[in-house]
Amino acid sequence: MLAAKNLHYCIQKRPIVDEVSLEVNPGEILSILGPNGAGKSTLFKILSGEIPCKRGFVSYNHTGLGELKVHDLAKIRAVLPQHSQVNFPFSAKEVISLGLHQVKVSKHEQILQEVMEITRVMQFSDKLYQHLSGGEKQRVQLARVLCQIWERQPYPRYLLLDEPTSSLDLAQQHAVLKILKQLTQRNIGVVIILHELNLAAQYSDRIALLKDGTLQKWGNVKEIMDEELLERVFEHPVQLIPYPCAAGCIVASGLQNQAYQNLNQA
Amino acid sequence: MNLSLKTYSNQNAIRLSLLGTVLMVVCIASLGLGAYSIPLDNTIAILLNSLGVSVDNFEASQANVLLQIRLPRILLNLLIGGGLGIAGAALQGMFRNPLVEPGLIGVSSGSALFAIIFIVFVSGGTSAGFLNNLGLPLFAFIGGLIHVAAVFKLSTNRGTSDTATLILAGIAINAFAGALIGLVLFFADDSALRSFTFWSLGDMSGATWQKLPFALILIGLPTFLILQKTKELNALSLGEQEAFHMGVPVNQVKIQLLVCAALIVGVGVSMVGVIGFVGLVVPHLVRLIFSADHRIVLPGSFFLGAILLNAADLIARLIVIPAEMPIGVITALCGAPFFIWLIFNLKKSSS
Repeated sequence: MLAAKNLHYCIQKRPIVDEVSLEVNPGEILSILGPNGAGKSTLFKILSGEIPCKRGFVSYNHTGLGELKVHDLAKIRAVLPQHSQVNFPFSAKEVISLGLHQVKVSKHEQILQEVMEITRVMQFSDKLYQHLSGGEKQRVQLARVLCQIWERQPYPRYLLLDEPTSSLDLAQQHAVLKILKQLTQRNIGVVIILHELNLAAQYSDRIALLKDGTLQKWGNVKEIMDEELLERVFEHPVQLIPYPCAAGCIVASGLQNQAYQNLNQA
Repeated sequence: MNLSLKTYSNQNAIRLSLLGTVLMVVCIASLGLGAYSIPLDNTIAILLNSLGVSVDNFEASQANVLLQIRLPRILLNLLIGGGLGIAGAALQGMFRNPLVEPGLIGVSSGSALFAIIFIVFVSGGTSAGFLNNLGLPLFAFIGGLIHVAAVFKLSTNRGTSDTATLILAGIAINAFAGALIGLVLFFADDSALRSFTFWSLGDMSGATWQKLPFALILIGLPTFLILQKTKELNALSLGEQEAFHMGVPVNQVKIQLLVCAALIVGVGVSMVGVIGFVGLVVPHLVRLIFSADHRIVLPGSFFLGAILLNAADLIARLIVIPAEMPIGVITALCGAPFFIWLIFNLKKSSS
């Protein structure tokens, strides 16, 4: 279990993350959603161990972050940051194989093949990373991170992703989420920052709504799919339209009251 | 396409043996050529003879020039050129910045400053002795280390180093060191001044067998340590956070690399003076010819650095016979245009 307790992080006395407690079980997908500047990325960095929090406690499989050595931590969790820049002329395949840093050499070839197949990066794997499009880069980075935790292990592991779908088209977004769903069957827990509510609703097991650094609500998808709650968090009118999918409805931007009435009358 | 990882390491072996062969050719060429030229068959005979195979179709004076003057010089070139190459590659990889060079970011000037302080105030101008052979390189190393640490501190903000700040920090530190060198030279006498002028442009003529063991240990050891860090440098080229996520103890690795690079550059500077651009150009060429994977960049930079410095030294000895051009002039003449080309290219690729 990846557990966070009472996380608190301030920059110049302004709280960015305030008293956040969360839990992620292996085998489930937790999506973190919230408006821009809600503190999602900061929370993400605290969870990944990248920045230490001033107060609070993060533990992986009941071991505190502070007690885990860097290379031990890397064995139980992989992280896909929002942007990664590569300054040297590496090919896509070379970037992907960097994810094998801690994996036994004998397994490299097989893992690379499987991961490159599932992320569909084969056709440009020999191109220079710098020459890829934004979406292709994102898939290459995803493939790299998958390499790190692809090999099956007896202990639960976690994958943290910060907006992995931001430059992907519709088909690719769903392809990525489907890969993550598959990954949960390997006893891996997934934490993902998303902006697209419908995508989150369709694939997540649980959703956390963050606003102004505080956790507004944390629960299963049905509990989160609440017009009033979403309107309050995103400060935007929201309409839930019944739809035959996992969440039971899809989220649409609500029309302003006046416009909505006009539409009804017409 | 599929290049399996095993053939990849085979491929690296081929690449390195190719570079090794070129290095051999350059070394043998520079053994024979010079103000006193020795024909190739005599050169080989002398080498074989000193290895215990008795061949005698050469003159004693040829053997003297070759074994006492040229061979130590070429071996020192090899160690220092290779060291500068690999130090440059390690620093570029660590800063994740292809513009980094020991000279630009102040390692060389730091070493130079401390070396000059040592020469003027401690050893009093004598050029022989154990004190000089060991004390001078170590003193220069401390200077280089202080400078590179300062530049690193100045230019790094929350784990990422910004190119502009890095170069500016390098300029600031270099200017400061330059001023201090001027101040120290104020206390030096005329002959020291003249030798400083040559030394500041790189002077290979001081190479002797006595210096070699020190160079071998003080450059060989850090080179070996840097070669152990290929995987970490590969991970670091994605970014420090990413490397941390993948299980690299980033700070520890960075400190080790900084110390090793400063040691190599410090020793090189103290023995032959400031030689610019080798650390900048060599890793780039290796990346251009082969790949950006540090498993080839690091050893490749050692070989190519050794090749280039020997070639540059050969040119420096040949173009103004019987005098000698300072080697730093040659490396800068080739390196500076390359640097300009690099800036142009970076500008293009970022826009």
